[in-house]
Amino acid sequence: MTVSFILNGEDVSARARSADRLSDFLKRAFGLSGAISDCRCGHCGRCLVFLDGRLVTSCLVPAFGVRGKEVVTFEGFAQTADYIDIAEGFKTAGVESCGFCSSARCMAAAALLERRPRPSPKEILEYMSCAPCRCTDPEIIVRGVQTAAEIRSRRLYRRAGR
Amino acid sequence: MRDAEVHFPKDLADALDIMRKRPGIGILAGGTDLFREQGGRGIALPDDVLFVRDLAELRRAGLTERFLEIGAAVTIAELLELGESALPPLLAEAVRGIGTPAIRNLATLGGNLAASGRFMDSWPALACLDGLVELRDQGGATWMNVNRLVGEGGRSAVPEGGLITRIRVPLEKWDIFALRKVGPRNYPTPDTAVFAFAARTDKGILVDFRIAFAGELALRSPAIESSVIGRALPLSARESSTVAESYRAAASFLPEGLSLQFGVLVESALGMLAS
Repeated sequence: MTVSFILNGEDVSARARSADRLSDFLKRAFGLSGAISDCRCGHCGRCLVFLDGRLVTSCLVPAFGVRGKEVVTFEGFAQTADYIDIAEGFKTAGVESCGFCSSARCMAAAALLERRPRPSPKEILEYMSCAPCRCTDPEIIVRGVQTAAEIRSRRLYRRAGR
Repeated sequence: MRDAEVHFPKDLADALDIMRKRPGIGILAGGTDLFREQGGRGIALPDDVLFVRDLAELRRAGLTERFLEIGAAVTIAELLELGESALPPLLAEAVRGIGTPAIRNLATLGGNLAASGRFMDSWPALACLDGLVELRDQGGATWMNVNRLVGEGGRSAVPEGGLITRIRVPLEKWDIFALRKVGPRNYPTPDTAVFAFAARTDKGILVDFRIAFAGELALRSPAIESSVIGRALPLSARESSTVAESYRAAASFLPEGLSLQFGVLVESALGMLAS
């Protein structure tokens, strides 16, 4: 079947099999490798994407399920101001995520800050469970997200003041 | 792998019409359980699939004076967003234990109840709260207690041929309640199970008492519950011990590890009534 949807801001269409997971479909049909099918059970977080603005594990989404919807992969997310805030916050706090979890953590942090501009450590750790990886001390990650939250708030404040 | 024919109904009537024309059609909403279980690259689907996730009728949630009514395709995240004032605390606690935030954005309450082969996190809480599910087919709608989703030997027995459309949760107040999840939190295994307990008291008398426990098998015993209701609080050590023993006997069909954990949780719940 042909699936039409918005991918990283552009209208796209491609043929999908009913058996396709979204993560596999994005790579096969569009050459995107930001969402990686690794565990294929929603556990590792390497396949995170935004589906209609909500963070989801794309390995648990049927490709046909994005018909008429909007998908943002890490490639698209990395072009946003939110990503820049989070990358800066992580860098300032000394978060040195590994290649396995780096993009997923940024996306999980963005999803959290969208809902909770000033998240608690508990909320941060809950969202970071979307990308479970032991490469970084959880306390440093909490500091990273809190620093990113401050940077983001300042940016939004400046923008609102214009 | 053969390509399934996927149907995208425009509304509930259309969905029911497709179900009538294609008996045995597979119903898919969030898909998290099905996709997680299969693990491989391609997903084996039935020849015909009815994709109900976006049906407006299944995506509404509403509050009346007596009930919270939740569309079967409302996601767990959307359910939590209703807030503490709308969501019974026992149910809130149960659904908070489901997956990660990214999975909760996909998984639906209907899917959590209709998962094949096991009970998921919401069932014990809904069983304690006397939740109802609406099952629709071309013949009309039937409301049934979630306790009727338990079949022989405590196994899951979701009726076939119908579509779960709504879940109704009575908004009664419970004085004492607890919910515990045992086993892996973010993905269910044979060792995963959820224990729910709720009790209501009036002038020192236990006027209602419920315990439900479920993983691959479910246990709720109205007979034991009835034997406790009406007793004066706090329960004596002898009363607690008799009830705990009854539950131990009732749980003998559970795997040994879960049976032992259930026993400990029952004692802990009874301890709340003894203090």
